[in-house]
Amino acid sequence: MSGRVTRLARAATERARTVLRIARWEVARGADTLDRRTLAVGAVGLLLAGLVAGAAAATGGAAVDRDIYRIGVDEESPYYEPVQASTELVATSPDGAELGSDVDVLVTDGRVRPADSRKGQAALAAFRAAVQGYNDRRLSEDDNRTAAFPVVVSLQYLERSAERPAGTTGGGGDGGSDGGSSAGGGDGDDGAATSPSLGGSDATDDDGPLPVPDVGGGTGGLFRTDTTGSPADIAPPFPFASLVLAFLFLVPMNFVIQAYGSTILNERINRRGELLLVAPVSPGEIVAGKTLPYATGMLAVTALIAAFVGGGVVSVAAVAPVALLFLAATFLGAMFARSFKELTFVTVTVSVFLTTYTFVPAIFTNVTPIALISPLTLVVMDLQGTAVSASEFAFATGPIFVSTGVLFLLGVGVYREEDMFTQRPVPLKFLDALDSRIRSARSMTTISALLIPFVFVAELLAVAVLYALPVSVTVPLLLVVVAGIEEVAKSVHVYAGFTKRRFEPSARSALLLGGLSGLGFFLGEKVTAIVQLVGLPELTLGRAAFAPAGIGVSAGAGLLLLLAPLVLHAVTASVTALGARGGRTWYAGGLVAATTIHALYNLTVVVTLG
Amino acid sequence: MLRKEKTIVLALLIQLFIAAFSSFLVVGLVSLYDPGSVGGYTVETAVTGDASDDLLAAVDDREGVSARSYPTRSAAMAAFEERRVDAVLVATHADGRIAVRATVPDSNVRTTLAVVQIRDALRAFERAERTDRAAYLDALPLELPPPARSSPYYGFTYTLLVPLLLFLPVFISGSITVDSITEEFERGTLELLRVAPLSMTDIVDGKVAAAAVLAPAQAALWLGLLRLNGTTVARPLVLLAVVASLSLLIVSLAAATALFAPDRRVAQLFYSTGVLVAFGGSTLLPVNPPNTVARLAIGSAHGGDLLAVAGYVVVSLVAVAVVRRAVTRLSL
Repeated sequence: MSGRVTRLARAATERARTVLRIARWEVARGADTLDRRTLAVGAVGLLLAGLVAGAAAATGGAAVDRDIYRIGVDEESPYYEPVQASTELVATSPDGAELGSDVDVLVTDGRVRPADSRKGQAALAAFRAAVQGYNDRRLSEDDNRTAAFPVVVSLQYLERSAERPAGTTGGGGDGGSDGGSSAGGGDGDDGAATSPSLGGSDATDDDGPLPVPDVGGGTGGLFRTDTTGSPADIAPPFPFASLVLAFLFLVPMNFVIQAYGSTILNERINRRGELLLVAPVSPGEIVAGKTLPYATGMLAVTALIAAFVGGGVVSVAAVAPVALLFLAATFLGAMFARSFKELTFVTVTVSVFLTTYTFVPAIFTNVTPIALISPLTLVVMDLQGTAVSASEFAFATGPIFVSTGVLFLLGVGVYREEDMFTQRPVPLKFLDALDSRIRSARSMTTISALLIPFVFVAELLAVAVLYALPVSVTVPLLLVVVAGIEEVAKSVHVYAGFTKRRFEPSARSALLLGGLSGLGFFLGEKVTAIVQLVGLPELTLGRAAFAPAGIGVSAGAGLLLLLAPLVLHAVTASVTALGARGGRTWYAGGLVAATTIHALYNLTVVVTLG
Repeated sequence: MLRKEKTIVLALLIQLFIAAFSSFLVVGLVSLYDPGSVGGYTVETAVTGDASDDLLAAVDDREGVSARSYPTRSAAMAAFEERRVDAVLVATHADGRIAVRATVPDSNVRTTLAVVQIRDALRAFERAERTDRAAYLDALPLELPPPARSSPYYGFTYTLLVPLLLFLPVFISGSITVDSITEEFERGTLELLRVAPLSMTDIVDGKVAAAAVLAPAQAALWLGLLRLNGTTVARPLVLLAVVASLSLLIVSLAAATALFAPDRRVAQLFYSTGVLVAFGGSTLLPVNPPNTVARLAIGSAHGGDLLAVAGYVVVSLVAVAVVRRAVTRLSL
């Protein structure tokens, strides 16, 4: 027994050593391309970038909205100065100016007339904000502070469920104060007679507005900072912190996956990868070795950004799976792409889709459990100091981990000579990849189960996207979409098997394969019982998506409802399998028929239970 | 035929996908730009304290804040905890001023909405108080222009969205050029091209022309889509001229980068960072492409803008000439 264990351990170390060696080669090769000229150009580029950033910081940011509204105002008019001071407004002479075509707002004889258009109204709003800012600035120079700033506001954020202030101290950030008023005359302290027994930490003074929401040093202006000062200094907190986080974490990943995709595609050009293929290493080890440097790099960058934003281990642990999924998707894309152009588009698609997947559900933070679909919600929770439970973590990152594994498996399946150095069209390559994982009819079960995370991810994204629409429209639409997604997931590998002539195209084998595929899907679906832990079934839409699987249903439903999905899956998978025997068109027809059956089943279940 | 050209189909699908999510993006980006823009929400507010009468008088007739008086602070906070009100304002007299202690809930979007409405109400209160104390002020504040019924998305559409939509195809075209040229090197097909009766300059010209033409075509499509969506963009032809000249410039520079960089990774890296730095840097100048485009699109352009457009055209033609000269000198 111990002999077996030692042998396994030795094999494992051997593999680890191989992987590390390949990783070292990868890094060395990357460094090779950096000759002196490239480094010099790179250094110059970095210097320029630093100069631009410094200039941006010094001059107060870009002014893309300079002089977009024309105000017709005389030089002697008191309104001339506010217009001059505002970036958005430009002062033109009112003599002979036609309202609407030459100017957007006309200021004559103390009357303010806007043009009769949306632009006129927008110009008027900007003008009003500019005058407000001008007034505030002038009043801040007034000697009589109590008359100039008669109201002192101290703003405090309070969490309602627990009695503790949620204020975080950090740099004052302002993303939205119009007119750019400088610091109001706040004397700092509030004169309120009754001090709160809740111990508010509201002593941060506002420095004055910055043109960009402050992100550095703690949570900064992205989140709530308790402020004190004149009402003009109140800065509404930015509601979509997750958007900024999404950009912060995911934009650097885009650069890394560009390089990673290039390196994988390079192996396929001019049969360069043949050398490694004939070496005594398995494709899995090659891919692991090539991916290791990039994965480490991405983790390091993620950790840096998390530290910058003020997050902890939870933030890094939440974003790491997303980084791995980026790599996995790029890897599969690079194995399928036929040229650099195609690779660029695949990379961009992957970026856009994954960024959307992480950002869109996170909009609903604190509002519904839908937000937990995205790992960024975990980061937001971590930054706000809320505890993250294990089940929430599993719900957000589980599908991502499993998808990563499946994508890498599929890619490794086509890491072989027949697919790497040929220009087969992408759909055929995809079928190849699926086929490489088929050993026998029983594989249908495992593959169906393995495709579940993608089905889950797709369905959750559909729920998140349709959530905003009224329920009467989205529930039927969602039922059909869910049915379609599941039918494709149950049948695409059966189709691959038939196309590659692995199975004989008889009705009997089709029924057998369909049945096995349905069984695998049914078993995998039960795993989605984890959804119960997070409360998604409480939402109408969540119920619609997951009730047909027998989740979230009261105990009285009984054995029938538990086994009904099995029958459904077997039947629909068999229908598509029967269609898949006959080629593409028959397969499409089978898909449509199966989707209809499935959608009707879903509708019946939701109507009966809902 | 379109079926065979997967990359174009994929590109169109990506853009459609982005367009479909654009409503989310617009809301998200607008709130980044101006968190105060989320409005149209009435905040139930509890007002208490010894100066509460003054505050109520000023706030009462404002829409967006529905204020109710509470006798004590603890009663108001209890109502806040029980979610009967969404904000608490405690107003007291102190040192000749009025100190207002505002408490708002710490949720996400609702907080922003509440804070915006309270801020506007308190500013109205401040204006009323200043008018009362006008005798003590050195300079009277200017009378404000009347309030406007304007959507904050209007400015955003022309200053951020339109430049974004017009310049993104330009960057994509540059990226395609880098890919196209580095691929020739990597696959070794450059040899085949050179054997053909074409000079190196012709080859590069062809690639640059193909990529540069794509950007104005896409920009025209976007302008058409915007028009369908109800957003009229002024001076479309001048805008297309700007896009065409900038696309020629960026694509020529991308070609130069690809020709002189050792491999695709380095070339793409230099191109991406170079474009970001150049674009970011240009926005700091007083005359910059995004601002010119914004002014042209919104209809506020004047002679200076048309001069700027002419300038862009000249710069791009010069850049093309320089790159062509460099290519002829290149020994590959």
